[in-house]
Amino acid sequence: LNAAPGRPPRQQIRFLPAPGGGGAVELVAARVPVLADHPLVRGPRFRKLKIGAGHRLDVKASGVFVLGIGHGNKLLTDRYNCHLTKVYTVGGRFGKATDDFSDTGNLVEKTTFDHITREKLERILAVIQGTNQKALLMYSNIDMKTQEAYELAVKGLIRPMGKSPPIITAVRCLQFALPEFQLEIHCLHETQQYLRKMVHEIGLELKSSAVCTQVRRIRDGVFTVDDALPRTQWNLQSIQEAIRNCQLKVETELEKTL
Amino acid sequence: RGLGVAAGPPSTRQLREAEEGAPVFQYAGKAARRKDRVFVWGFSYSGALGVPSFVKPDAGWKKPRRIQPTPYRLETEEKISSAACGYGFTLLASNTRDITKVWGMGLNKDSQLGFQRTRRDQTKGYEYVLEPSPIPLPLEKPQQTRVLQVSCGRAHSLVLTDSEGVFTMGNNSYGQCGRKVVEDEIYSGSHLIHQLKEFDSRVVQVVCGQDHSLFRTKKGTVYACGWGADGQTGLGHYNITSVPTKLHGDIAGVNIVQVSSYGDCCLAVSDEGDVFGWGNSEYLQLASVTETTQVNVPRHLPFKIGKIKEAACGGTGNLVLTEEGNVFVWGYGILGKGPNLIETAVPEMIPPSLFGWSDFSPDIRVAHVRCGLSQFAALTNRGELFVWGKNLRGCLGTGRMEDQYFPWRVTVPGEVVDVACGIDHMVSMVSSF
Repeated sequence: LNAAPGRPPRQQIRFLPAPGGGGAVELVAARVPVLADHPLVRGPRFRKLKIGAGHRLDVKASGVFVLGIGHGNKLLTDRYNCHLTKVYTVGGRFGKATDDFSDTGNLVEKTTFDHITREKLERILAVIQGTNQKALLMYSNIDMKTQEAYELAVKGLIRPMGKSPPIITAVRCLQFALPEFQLEIHCLHETQQYLRKMVHEIGLELKSSAVCTQVRRIRDGVFTVDDALPRTQWNLQSIQEAIRNCQLKVETELEKTL
Repeated sequence: RGLGVAAGPPSTRQLREAEEGAPVFQYAGKAARRKDRVFVWGFSYSGALGVPSFVKPDAGWKKPRRIQPTPYRLETEEKISSAACGYGFTLLASNTRDITKVWGMGLNKDSQLGFQRTRRDQTKGYEYVLEPSPIPLPLEKPQQTRVLQVSCGRAHSLVLTDSEGVFTMGNNSYGQCGRKVVEDEIYSGSHLIHQLKEFDSRVVQVVCGQDHSLFRTKKGTVYACGWGADGQTGLGHYNITSVPTKLHGDIAGVNIVQVSSYGDCCLAVSDEGDVFGWGNSEYLQLASVTETTQVNVPRHLPFKIGKIKEAACGGTGNLVLTEEGNVFVWGYGILGKGPNLIETAVPEMIPPSLFGWSDFSPDIRVAHVRCGLSQFAALTNRGELFVWGKNLRGCLGTGRMEDQYFPWRVTVPGEVVDVACGIDHMVSMVSSF
């Protein structure tokens, strides 16, 4: 960043003695760069960068992680107040139960799972969606008796705009091949450990046990996996280009929600 | 213990071996069946919920529970295939061939649950039945006949069997039991259960209104008996009818596939998707065809909302379900479209997004609709139950005491197969996961 050409030094008008012979000393106005702006005086333009992080991502999870740089940190609080849903791909495996709900924990129990079918799993997912839908309406703190509550409910725009426990707005089974399965979960105010716990609870409901093998965030508000920079592209040019591309999207997102 | 081996955190290989050697538990085998359960909720002091400890606590620390605001599981001996809620009492029927096929609980002041012999005095009967008690039906072949359906009105009940006609019991002061009205008859503690067999073909559905009864036969004809002052018998007059009589009017010659009633208005659906109505119209239920407040002849209701699959008639509001799975409401009261819609004569559709339909799950459809006196219930094809309407004594089952102005999910641990709505309580048949 420091290698990039900085802004040109400020110019000032000073009255300097004209180069010339002796005799009367005349003052000639000349445009001269201000010494205080000289790079050797000022030092490198960037010494520290303020980087802020968006919604937390676990050590064991992967996926889209939003960062704000410099002035972008102000947008981070606005994005937090938007309360938009995040989408995760959660992979699970039947047959085992561990103490921290992931496949690297200490084994608690092993169970059979050959009685599980995709239909049973989808039934459980429907119930989860139903109870979370109720929680969504309850934590949004809107009086259910008003006409506007009814209209928002019809459009599906009721959402908790303050603090709330984790709420799942939609779940879908993407793949099902015993013992592995994969779910797509849209949620609000969640932590990755909560998603792992949910996989464990799904296993319990199906009268077996399950551990979570993978948690990957594929969407955080408007940022999807396509916008995100992979490890190989963590350099200045890609970052600058990505910021430029996303600026418009972030602005529209914030305007629409707030 | 091997003294030469150092103790320490178990290595990966040891962990893996321990894991492989761990015992495998089996909680459900491949042949695990889904169990059928019954859930009840609402006002319990009449005994209609069938849980005696709500009314008379059996342990010292328990307090009487006046209202059960959320679904509570009711233990039954057999699988219940049909249930009906009346005004303070409930009937549960099973499809079995055993001798006991019907159980009743709740108010029994008019013997709507048959004669329930008291333990102390063999001649007297219970006036409040707190537990599901068997109702003795005078069947000719008790080990072969099956009970298909039950229905309850204000103070009378009907039991439909497959080969022995319809049994009626309870209050008969308006002839709603299908037998001649006896002056000054004492209904409490009565042993009389009347049997009705004279219809043009086998009866396939029985429906009780508040003080009248409707019978639908296999041929598609409808019979009615009972109170007619609001025209709810549909026979062309406003008098009492004590013998089931065939209805004419706009439904003569039409094959009716479903009849519904709960208060004083009645709806019938034909096989072609048309809906006919008769009875009370004070709340604009039939205002689309007539200005009068009582209609005593079935009239066709010309709604252009598509082919109608099912209809449900409440006290002041009506509900129909079309073939596409859309729900339409009209009438008076809390209709389900927010607090601003109080009454309408023309059916209004309830947006499917309120029943869980969204871009994410576009194949959710409403499968059945049911009505209580001022509540409505809808069952989706995913087995979810949505209720809305006036929350009289906690009958909606949402856990709150407030009225519900738009469809709200009831959390039941299982897939809801059927629901019966009453005045202040509801019964649902649920299949467990």
